[in-house]
Amino acid sequence: MSKITHVCALAVALTLALSGCDEKASLSPAQQSGNDPSLPKAHNFLKPPMQVPDGVGWAQGQMPKVAAGLKIEPIASDLKHPRQLYVLPNDDVLVMESNSPGAEPVTTPKQLIAGMVKNRSGKGAKGGNRITLLRKNSSGGWDKHDFIDHLDSPFGAQLIGDTLYVADTDRILKFPYVTGETQITAPGVEFTDLPNTINHHWTKPLLASTDGKKLYVGIGSNSNITENGLEVEYRRADVLEVDVADGASRIYASGLRNPTGLQWEPTTGKLWAIANERDEIGADLVPDYLTSVQEGGFYGWPYSYYGQHVDTRVMPQRPDLVAKAIKPDYAIGSHVAPLGLLMTTTNSLPAPFHNGAFISEHGSWDRSPLSGYAVVFVAFQNGKPVGVPQPVVTGFYSDDESKLYGAPVGVVTDKDGALLVADDVGNTVWRITAASR
Amino acid sequence: MSFRATPRRSAVANAIYGLLNPIPFGCFVAALIFDVIYAHTAVVLWGKSAAWLIALGLVFAIIPRLINLVQVWITFRRFATGAEKLDFWLNLFAIVAAIFNAFVHSRDAYAVIPEGVWLSACTVILLAIGHIAIAVQRSESGVLVHE
Repeated sequence: MSKITHVCALAVALTLALSGCDEKASLSPAQQSGNDPSLPKAHNFLKPPMQVPDGVGWAQGQMPKVAAGLKIEPIASDLKHPRQLYVLPNDDVLVMESNSPGAEPVTTPKQLIAGMVKNRSGKGAKGGNRITLLRKNSSGGWDKHDFIDHLDSPFGAQLIGDTLYVADTDRILKFPYVTGETQITAPGVEFTDLPNTINHHWTKPLLASTDGKKLYVGIGSNSNITENGLEVEYRRADVLEVDVADGASRIYASGLRNPTGLQWEPTTGKLWAIANERDEIGADLVPDYLTSVQEGGFYGWPYSYYGQHVDTRVMPQRPDLVAKAIKPDYAIGSHVAPLGLLMTTTNSLPAPFHNGAFISEHGSWDRSPLSGYAVVFVAFQNGKPVGVPQPVVTGFYSDDESKLYGAPVGVVTDKDGALLVADDVGNTVWRITAASR
Repeated sequence: MSFRATPRRSAVANAIYGLLNPIPFGCFVAALIFDVIYAHTAVVLWGKSAAWLIALGLVFAIIPRLINLVQVWITFRRFATGAEKLDFWLNLFAIVAAIFNAFVHSRDAYAVIPEGVWLSACTVILLAIGHIAIAVQRSESGVLVHE
């Protein structure tokens, strides 16, 4: 009997060992950056790689680190989960205080457990569902005004003429805007509805065309990889083009799993997006990316990634769609979670930070060691990204990776050309300028 | 406290065991059926339902398995039959397979297949053999089949 006991004890030990086994990342974000990232073989796990630091916020006087030649200061704190930023023509700064509507039902035992783990980071805190306006005062400080209240997980905002468009998670609202006002009390009027089931990915970034005739909206998928069924992915994982005249919309490009930021590339006028790629097939899969968005283009999700790398988790498979999947232009590393994009040709930072894209990376959970949790700069030449992403703002987590102080989201430049970064774990807006010599 | 010469299993423990022990088997059988349907249809309802059934089966198995462990190896050790010991080990292996299976079922979409079906089948077969062994032993000793 003792032999059987040994065999059984071994079986139990093996279970525990295997259930705890996960894979450390073997490729650095730099190795998975650029137009030809190395992609290891996909794995299915018993338990996917998972590492989540505890959200603690910033101590008094504690700040992120910045690249050489830069300095950083907080301009607003005690915000309620500040996500996206938008600068009005008079240089007032709008702060969308927002988080997931939390309406996604728990339909698997995994969601029950994963939700608890991920919320430890502070990324799951309740959002303010409002927009706060920041205005620089004569003494150099910034005043906070309650601009619009009672929103529903707002993310994108765009001003066209005297109409402010705000993208809640379920629809785009129109508000009348008068230059210089610090509060809008008029109720928002529904301009057009947006895909609003489940809202697994809930952010709806907005970008207006330069002629003000179209609005582009990033719509995230309703799952990691179709685990909620294909039917709830209708008009999901795409960029919608909305006609400003009548609110009619169409799918402009598809197969982008979660396009969280949209910008016009200033030198070519082309539409670019950042997108969050799929999880749970490896610490080094799949790199998130920055790409130009072609009209009618299909970028792979859910059937494949980086062109024709088929994802076997999707059933039925669609070889016809895989064949026409476009490979994204530029990888920025696996699981870095880009949530903010700013394309710039000029600003008041030193010259190396001019032509290119600032990307704020909210940071990983499906990877060990941590990745992202930084604002990076991708240089552009002739309208194309070159080199590897350069860190601009870092230091969002403790050196031992156990504590999380902040996580960057929205990124814009203010009227002085300084970089503003919203931090939704530290509940702060940071301002980055050139260090005075 | 029993004063009989032959130690008797506690009536309370037997009642709890009799009440809870069938539940995991039912859950795991249903999970196997749902897994097979999911493998054929790829309709996510079936895969998610199987994941819940396996998780619930494991939770409901905790108390009856502990009672069984104590009865077979401690309080009733000298009188436990070969069939009862076999049943204990089959159950243990079934639970190990179900724990693996719970992790496999935490994968997204069709990544559950085929391992999920094999592990569900494994769990059900092990438990079924245990049930048959106990039933055969009881019919031989002239006791009612009901546990």
